Order: sequence, then C-alpha cells, then structure tokens
Amino acid sequence: MKALALALSLLVCAVAPARAQPVATPIPIGIAVAQTSNVALFGQEQVNGAKVAEARINAAGGINGTKIALAFQDTGGDEAGAVNAFQNLINRDKVVAIIGPTLSQQAFAADPLANQAKVPVVAPSNTAKGIPQIGPFVSRVSAPMTQVAPHSLRQALKLTPDIRRVAVLYAQNDAFSASETEVFQQAVKDLGLETVTVQKFQTTDTDFTTQVTTVLAAKADLVVISGLAADSGNLVKQLRQLGYKGQIVGGNGLNSPNMFPVCGALCADTLVAQAYSPAAVEHNPVNKAFVEAFRQAYQKAPAQFSAQAYAAVQVVAEALAKVERDSGKKITSFELPQLREAVNAALRTGPTLTPIGEIAILPSGEIEQKDFYVSRIVMQPDGATGAFVLVTE
Amino acid sequence: MDFAWLTQSLLNGLSIGSVYAVFALGYTLVFSILGIINFAHGAVFTLGAYLTYALTVGRFGINGLLAGVSLPVTLPFFPALLVGALLSGLAGLAVEQLAFRPLRRRGADPLLALVSSLGVALIVVNCIQYLVGAEIYSFPANIFGDLPMAVIFSVGGRPVAVRTVQVILFAACLVMLAGLWWGINRTRTGKALLATAENADTARLLGIGVNHFIRGTFFLSGLLGGLSGTLIGASFGLSGPYFGVAYGLKGLAVMVLGGLGSIPGAVVGGFVIGLGEAFLPADMSSYKEAVAFVLLFAILLIRPQGLLGGSLEQKV
Repeated sequence: MKALALALSLLVCAVAPARAQPVATPIPIGIAVAQTSNVALFGQEQVNGAKVAEARINAAGGINGTKIALAFQDTGGDEAGAVNAFQNLINRDKVVAIIGPTLSQQAFAADPLANQAKVPVVAPSNTAKGIPQIGPFVSRVSAPMTQVAPHSLRQALKLTPDIRRVAVLYAQNDAFSASETEVFQQAVKDLGLETVTVQKFQTTDTDFTTQVTTVLAAKADLVVISGLAADSGNLVKQLRQLGYKGQIVGGNGLNSPNMFPVCGALCADTLVAQAYSPAAVEHNPVNKAFVEAFRQAYQKAPAQFSAQAYAAVQVVAEALAKVERDSGKKITSFELPQLREAVNAALRTGPTLTPIGEIAILPSGEIEQKDFYVSRIVMQPDGATGAFVLVTE
Repeated sequence: MDFAWLTQSLLNGLSIGSVYAVFALGYTLVFSILGIINFAHGAVFTLGAYLTYALTVGRFGINGLLAGVSLPVTLPFFPALLVGALLSGLAGLAVEQLAFRPLRRRGADPLLALVSSLGVALIVVNCIQYLVGAEIYSFPANIFGDLPMAVIFSVGGRPVAVRTVQVILFAACLVMLAGLWWGINRTRTGKALLATAENADTARLLGIGVNHFIRGTFFLSGLLGGLSGTLIGASFGLSGPYFGVAYGLKGLAVMVLGGLGSIPGAVVGGFVIGLGEAFLPADMSSYKEAVAFVLLFAILLIRPQGLLGGSLEQKV
C-alpha cells in the first residue's frame, strides 16, 4: 500500500506543471571555474576577468537598468567538482546561464547536465574538439588555438631568416599542447625546416636538464614549445641558462603573464602565439577599456583566460539585453526556463566586439574569431615584470 | 660510448638525486621511530619553500588573503633559508601534535595516523592556496648572488653543461647529509634517537624520554622537508601550492627503495632514482616520473626490504 502511495505521488509530481520560477534580481549569471586545485591558477584569472566584466556592465547600468550578479562556484580541478558546481548553479542559484568550466574534460562531464536542464553554457576556456557538440545549449568563446601556430613560426623566420634546424618540445600530458604541437610540426615541415629532435615533458616537470642538453647537442637554431606557463617558463629559463642562444617560439600556453616570474629576464624575446593580446587596443576600444580596468583592479595586464572570461560575461549580458529589446518586456518578468531558452538563442546572433576581438557564436555553438596575434616578450629591467609586445607580420 | 652524454647524465642525476635523498630522509626518520609514514611531509616541503619565499621577497601576488600584503622586513636568502627551515621544523612538530599524538595516545591503529597525516597535508596545501593564491612565485634571479648561470665544458669534443643551481643543490644536500650523519652517529642525542628507533619500550626503560625524541624527530623531519622544498623552489620556482605533491610521492618511492626506516637507504635510494631518471634516453624523458616506481616494483620483487633495509618483521 505504501509503495502504491509513493508511486502515485511520484506520478503526480512528474505530470504536474513545473512551479513558476521567476528570474531573480539582480540577474544571476553562474561562474563555475576552478578556484582550488592545481587548475586554480587559470580559474583565478577567469574569476578576475569575470569580476571586471560584472563591475563594468553594472556601472554602465546593467541590462537596461537591471544589474547582473555573478554567482561563483568552485569546480576544483576534477569532473565531480564541476558537476556539483553546475548542479548548485542550476538548482540553488537559479542562474540564467553558466560560464565555465575551466577544463575541457570537466565540460564533457558537467555540460550535459546544463544541456538537459536547458541552461545555456558559455565555455570561456574549453578548446578541445567536440565541446559545442555536447548539446544545443553549449557554446564557447575559446577558439581552437591550433590556427595561430603557423603565424608565429613565419614571424620567427622573418626575424632570423637562416633558421634551419628546429627542436620541438611539448607537454605530452596536456591535451591542448599535444594537439598544438602537431600543428607546429606540420608548419615546420611546410616551411621546409628540419626537425632535429622532438622532446616531451610533463606539465608538472620542473627540471628540464635532459631535454635542454639534448636540444643543445642537436644544435637546434629554433626551439618550439607547447606547454603551460609554469613548465614552459622553467624550460625557457633552463634553455637560456645552459647557453641556448637561438630563437624560441611558444604556443598559446605561454601566453600568460604567469610566465614572467618563472623565467624572469630570461623570458625576453620569446615569440608567443596568442588568441588574445592586451596590447591589441588600437582598433579595439572594448579591449582598451578592459585592460585599463583590469590594471586598475589587479596592477597587471590581463591574461588570455581573464579576457576570455570577460568576453563570456559580456556575450551573456548582451544576449540578455537583446532578449529584452526583442521581446519588449523586462528580463525580470520572464519565467526562468523561458528566459534561459531565449538567452541561448540570442547568444548565437551576430558578431560582438570583445577584448579578444570581434567574435560571433555560430548556430552550432562554435566561436568564429577574427584576430590572432604574435607577440614578443619584453621584460622590464627589474627582470620580474614584462609585457607581450605585438609583432606585426 | 658517448662520454659527454654519460657525464651529463651523471651530473644531472647526482644533483636531483641529492634532493630526493634529503627529502626522503624526513620520511625515513619518522618511519624509523614510529613505524608509520607521515604523508604530510610533502606539504611541509611546500610550506618551507613558501615560508622562505615570504621571508626573502616579502610581498604577495594578486590573489589569496595576503594579496598586496608586504612584510615590514625581508632577509637575505641564506638567513631566510635557515629561518624557513626552522619554521618548517615547527610545522613538522605541529603535524605530530595534530595528526599523530592524539591517535598514539589512544593506541589507535597506525593506519589511522597515516590517514590523518594525509588530511593534514591537504589542509596545509589548501591553507597555502587560501593565503597566497595559486599563482606562480619565483625567487629573484640573483638569489645566489652574482654567480655565473652555468658552467659549460667539453668532453670528447662535445659540450657538457651544468647549471650553477645544480651544483648548489648537490653541495647543500651533501652538507645536510653529512651534518645529519654526524648528529645521529656521533652525538648522545643521536644515539638516544637510534635507541628509540630500535625499540621504544627498551629505550624508555633506559631512561630515554621517548616522547621527547618523537617530537625531536618530527622537528628534524620538518626541517629537512622545508630545506629541500626551499632548494627546489629557489632552483625551479614555486609552481603553485601543489608543487610538493610529486616530490612527496617520489620521496615515498625513494624511502621504500632504499629500505623502510634505513637512513643510509634513503640516501642510496635518492641517488639511485635521481640517476635512473637522468640516464633515461632523452626521447623518453617525459616518462621519468615512472622510473621511480618501475625501480620500486623491481626492487620489491627482488629484495622486498629495500636496498639497505633490515628485516620487514620489525616495523610492518
């Protein structure tokens, strides 16, 4: 009898119309990134970028007078943490959209939940293949960075035309670096250069003596690195300390001011492929304002992770404004499920100028990004601070 | 035979192996006294590096509770290294008080102490991140003074390069190992420590304050962990609060390889694993983390008590 009563009540719950869920004020937007664990270095940059976006959007009047409020959830560095964060944001904080998670493998675990709940997800840093294909509510503002690699190699050849012998080094335990090095290696072939050694390392490595001495013995005159900021910074430092004098080209993982404290003055002159440059402000007033606000808040130039997080908040805010504009009614008068669907549709319409340049989210959820950059690292005389200075091709 | 490669690998292996040895000694000392593994040792390693960094540089980054805070005074590197090591020793003592003593008093299963030390390790690492953020910190480039960055010489017409920091690591570790050997084998305190390690009950009957020596051991273990953490941090930078995790695992492998509880074993184990990693062919260098554990499996199959370990029945 008890079982029958339980079954009946479950059935009633299942068929009863969902209780009305109004949109909270200020409008909650979820940020689910890694604030702890060994991924926190990137997550903290994302938090900083998102906070700058929130402050600037609210200072400009929010969404036609209604402010936004970022709801932060720490995903940690694993899939379980991301799933938990997404569940909290969807069910407890009742956000209109989620920005996150930091890692692609976390996205594959958590994004299906949001997709099932019909909550739009904007990935600020997931570059793996298949992210937008998770579902119709998943999109990203992080371009697959493999497009940029050949530009930096061409630039290196332009600066040092007699380059012939290339050493390739990459972090084999990082999916992005392993994928990026394939593009670099193909570009090396296409440019008619000789790959004299391919060396692997781990993102957790600190001692690169073995790799560096092999590069020296191979008499390479160009070193191409795909790794993350900490390990690549150490690699650059040890290459220079052991006497390597040639050109160094780094992939997108080196595109972070976190490099500077690691290799210090020895970072100088490294060429870096970038999806974002804090120096690209001449034709981009949004980036100019973002860099100024970020510098004021954190006394340093923003990293790519910060800029992409800013761009993600910006596109969600602009989608909210578009929904309000097109529907002619206030965001706060929408039912939450209805608004989430409307925001998801509005995200995929037309280009937006963001700190990372003009971007558009295609109907598939994939990003279309116009600009990529090559910069040269210039260090200040103190050897501790530096900047990425744009190099024009 | 490529003598240049052999020389290069030997120098690389001696340098990193000496750090492994000193770090593993911290594990070994505690194991030799209590018969259990202190999993918080890797966290103390990390803490030592951050403490010395704070004392040397005196300011923090943009994240964490201490963001923007500057210390009123800073110290030159070597005094800061000593103060950082002493503070790490105190942290080791705190680990004993928090994770080991309460359980020992209740006569709890040693396995519980192992788990509680793991818990303390996680708390310490997370506290570091809460205070200073996950940013990368690097000691100033001139931390060792105006020494040249590397020495490059020729063997058989091919260049062999040694970074100055590798020489400093090796020399500093040799000094520490010699000091420890002297302290344990040539002083009354050291002999009392050995007696406690051999049999705590008998030592107690002989009038040796066993609890006093347990505390002393944790202090010494923390001091060695903090020193090795600082040396590694100053050589390669602090890549985040989790940078000690890999060294923690490696130190464990070194200790088991050398022989659980054997002080000479920890030294030999450190050098064996350091050299094993260094002699791995360059194309496979990304697998060097696995070397420690492959060597470990091999020695466990051939000589389960480790290279220089005694009978397993005594402690396990």
